Amino acid sequence: MADVALRPPLVAGHKRLAEVTEDICRPMERWPGLAWWAAFVVAFSMLMLGVTAVTYEIATGIGTWGLNTTVGWAFGITNFVFWIGIGHAGTLISAILFLFRQRWRTGVNRAAEAMTLFAVMCAGIFPVIHLGRPWFAYWIFPYPNFRGSLWMNYRSPLAWDAFAISTYFIISATFWYVGLIPDLATVRDRANPGLRKKIFTILSFGWDGGYKTWNRYEMVYLLLAGLCTPLVVSVHTIVSWDFATAVIPGWHATIFPPYFVAGAIFSGMAMVLTLMIIARKVMGLEAYINKRHLDVMSKLIITTGSIVGLAYLTEFFTAQYGSNRYEQFVFLNRARGPFAWAYWTMVSCNVLTPQILWIRKIRNSWTLVFIITIFVNIGMWFERFVIIVTSLHRDYLPASWADYRPTSVEIATLIGSFGLFFTLFLLFCRVLPVIAIAEIKGVLKHGVQGEAH
Amino acid sequence: MGVNAAPLLALDHGAVRYFRAGARLSKTGGHTALACTQEHQSLTVPEKLRPAAGASRPIVRETTLEAARENGGVRSKEPPVPELWPPDHPFTTHHWAMVVDLNACNGCAACVVACQAENNIPVVGKDEMRRKREMHWMRIDRYYSGSPENPLVAHQPMFCQQCDNAPCETVCPVLATTHSDEGLNQMTYNRCIGTRYCANNCPYKVRHFNWFEYSREDRLANLVLNPDVTVRSRGVMEKCTFCVQRIQDAKIEAKRKGRPVHDGDIRTACQQTCPSKAIVFGDLNDKESEVARLMDNRRRYKVLEEINVKPGVGYLKIVRPEVAGGEEKENG
Amino acid sequence: MSQFQLLGVFEDESALISAVKAARQQRLRIVEVYTPYAVHGLERVLGLRRSRLSLVCLIAGATGAIVKLWFEFWTMAIDWPVNVGGKPWNSLPAFVPVTFEVMVLFAGLSSVAALLIVAGLWPGKQPKLIHPRVTNDRLALLLEENDAAFDVGRVRRLLEDHGAVEVTERLTGEEVPA
Repeated sequence: MADVALRPPLVAGHKRLAEVTEDICRPMERWPGLAWWAAFVVAFSMLMLGVTAVTYEIATGIGTWGLNTTVGWAFGITNFVFWIGIGHAGTLISAILFLFRQRWRTGVNRAAEAMTLFAVMCAGIFPVIHLGRPWFAYWIFPYPNFRGSLWMNYRSPLAWDAFAISTYFIISATFWYVGLIPDLATVRDRANPGLRKKIFTILSFGWDGGYKTWNRYEMVYLLLAGLCTPLVVSVHTIVSWDFATAVIPGWHATIFPPYFVAGAIFSGMAMVLTLMIIARKVMGLEAYINKRHLDVMSKLIITTGSIVGLAYLTEFFTAQYGSNRYEQFVFLNRARGPFAWAYWTMVSCNVLTPQILWIRKIRNSWTLVFIITIFVNIGMWFERFVIIVTSLHRDYLPASWADYRPTSVEIATLIGSFGLFFTLFLLFCRVLPVIAIAEIKGVLKHGVQGEAH
Repeated sequence: MGVNAAPLLALDHGAVRYFRAGARLSKTGGHTALACTQEHQSLTVPEKLRPAAGASRPIVRETTLEAARENGGVRSKEPPVPELWPPDHPFTTHHWAMVVDLNACNGCAACVVACQAENNIPVVGKDEMRRKREMHWMRIDRYYSGSPENPLVAHQPMFCQQCDNAPCETVCPVLATTHSDEGLNQMTYNRCIGTRYCANNCPYKVRHFNWFEYSREDRLANLVLNPDVTVRSRGVMEKCTFCVQRIQDAKIEAKRKGRPVHDGDIRTACQQTCPSKAIVFGDLNDKESEVARLMDNRRRYKVLEEINVKPGVGYLKIVRPEVAGGEEKENG
Repeated sequence: MSQFQLLGVFEDESALISAVKAARQQRLRIVEVYTPYAVHGLERVLGLRRSRLSLVCLIAGATGAIVKLWFEFWTMAIDWPVNVGGKPWNSLPAFVPVTFEVMVLFAGLSSVAALLIVAGLWPGKQPKLIHPRVTNDRLALLLEENDAAFDVGRVRRLLEDHGAVEVTERLTGEEVPA
């Protein structure tokens, strides 16, 4: 562990075990402050706007969205892929970095996992509400029925998607909850007798800190991390197959799986940083989320952002080199056609903006990194929009070309999904420990001089 | 579209007169979004977006009389395309197909109207038209070439190509669109949940979606509905069925009489209505049928054949006195 | 028959580890160690073997994958074969993604279920805390009298020598005041 000793400590200020418990649990036990209430009111209003829009859409028909015969997917699926991508960073931090023994993850993994869950919830809503008949969404799963028995089509990428998203949600939720159990026990044992204690007693499964259980627990945690790692890659790969297996020029590309996975991590990292920079300030967790996190995650953003940029170039090159006139046209149309503004928004936000993170000064500034992450979030939303809409709106037969313009219902639904996400995240900050207490205690001594073991 | 032009007509000696003198156009100052299915500008690849591999697309093809007459007008045998998949789906009974003679088509759109009447296709109105949500299972695509003052026009009836390797079928998660063992691309309305993935993955964009509940309870108006065809509800996909109700009807009739289905027993609504007999429907397994004969015609090609979706609809090239750039010309 | 037990409470993981080492050297019976976090290296000192829960994960995952792959083949090619886009009845490559997902689902849920069963954890179980601060900032070592040579005074001294801040005597199964 000699290398660890050379690095700054993971947790600043020589915290003692009891202080860690105190620091992380205190915000949950206080009545929330004005800033929290203000944020909650805004988020909840956005959520209600979304609920109204979706209710209207389901009552009236999917025609309330701006779609047409040619552009059958646009905002809904863009939002779906966007949110799924956001979700991936949480699993990356909690599972992949765990396997690589990146101990800096400890400060941010709980919140990142929660972000994954809420993002997957937001994502999961869109494929359901975008259906013509959402009330039959369950037909996508095979269940015995009186139709003969009619199963479903395992050859369809949408069916793969349904399995991938459900599995991803269930396994992420399990992983998150398993990680929470010891902390829930800590909260339980701090609570005075009453309703709060009763609730946390039920939630903490009778955890008593016994080391035999810890030993098995560590094994299961490792197994789940090992399962989540290929799972997270498979989920976005399958999402990309929704497009890559289609015959539409601009969708039909073998580069999609790695390109989508890199993009997902890119956008997810940006969202984690956006949230953590706010949470750190608002909740007073400066000692646990520090410059080291900012630095490492900024580097991840440069890396994945550059991979995404390379993918954009590769797509263009493949199209031009492949001399397929439909393919060539789609890419020219992206850069110079009616949606060129979306394309160049995407390129400038995703490829150009993150490059300034090469400068250490900028990487060390909370404000500048925060601004850049906002740009990345916007850029990655537009990436999915560009892929979906520009490929569809002008495909093979010029006679079927069409334009697309979102309606207010679609925009309200997008706002609503952000409302859902932030409502859930704010509630999470209030009722559960945002930092993995037990894990932080385990790394408390890392990097502290003279204590390296 | 959606405007009543009847007040402009006049009766002249008991006949309708379609022209009128003395009309004057003046600016009203207002704006109205026009509702039309296809605009001229949208039908060609714009100049600034021309790809290096060629801007023209082999969608409507033209040929010369000499080229069409070579080898007695019969196309030479093509080498079979190598297949990766085992031949799991042979068409043993019938293999329905259609051939459209683009040379005969004059773009009158009678077929579109016939199809609409036959298949209970909803009339969606001006507003939906503006959003490009027309429901016609058939459309007449128009492509122009030559100078704008004196353009050459090509009409192409476009409808479901009943592909044997249909991209739409593969992507439906709930098996709502599948292939029959007679080569039909079937739509099961009551199984459809409306993902619209099939329409996205259709290279011809011939699938139409019920964005709202278009049908309504109207005892008088609903008398026009064809009792043999389902009225579709909100949220399901629909498309050309090759008038499957007529196919079934003819098959039942033939079975009742104890004879095979003859060529010509089944006529689709569009075929029946076409004044220039440009549309021919029949069974490819019947080597004597007209459709099988036309499939062997030298002028026959299939739209977007190169993506190997194996369309069940053939088109006959337009014959022009001379075709710029050699024997063949591609439009689109 | 209830046994006499001795509980040493520590503030620091290195103190606990050295106490455990000493107790094992003296062949004292260690009932359990209680910690607020997973102390790494303790499993070696305690001589705990590697958990076999990974085997559950492997078996469940393999079962999930095989069952699902068979189910996909059965529904698509045997029970009700439908011609979908001219694809072969047995479209094996297309069956792989769902097989993988179901494998992960089975493996993950089974491992967690096995953990909960083996460790005896369930929602609403009343915890038997050995010390009220054991989930916060105290580490505890529970020793049990194993033979007549068990000398309370000597063991107590051993614990205190290794940095125990608190040593209490108790009997097996004794309730701890909350």
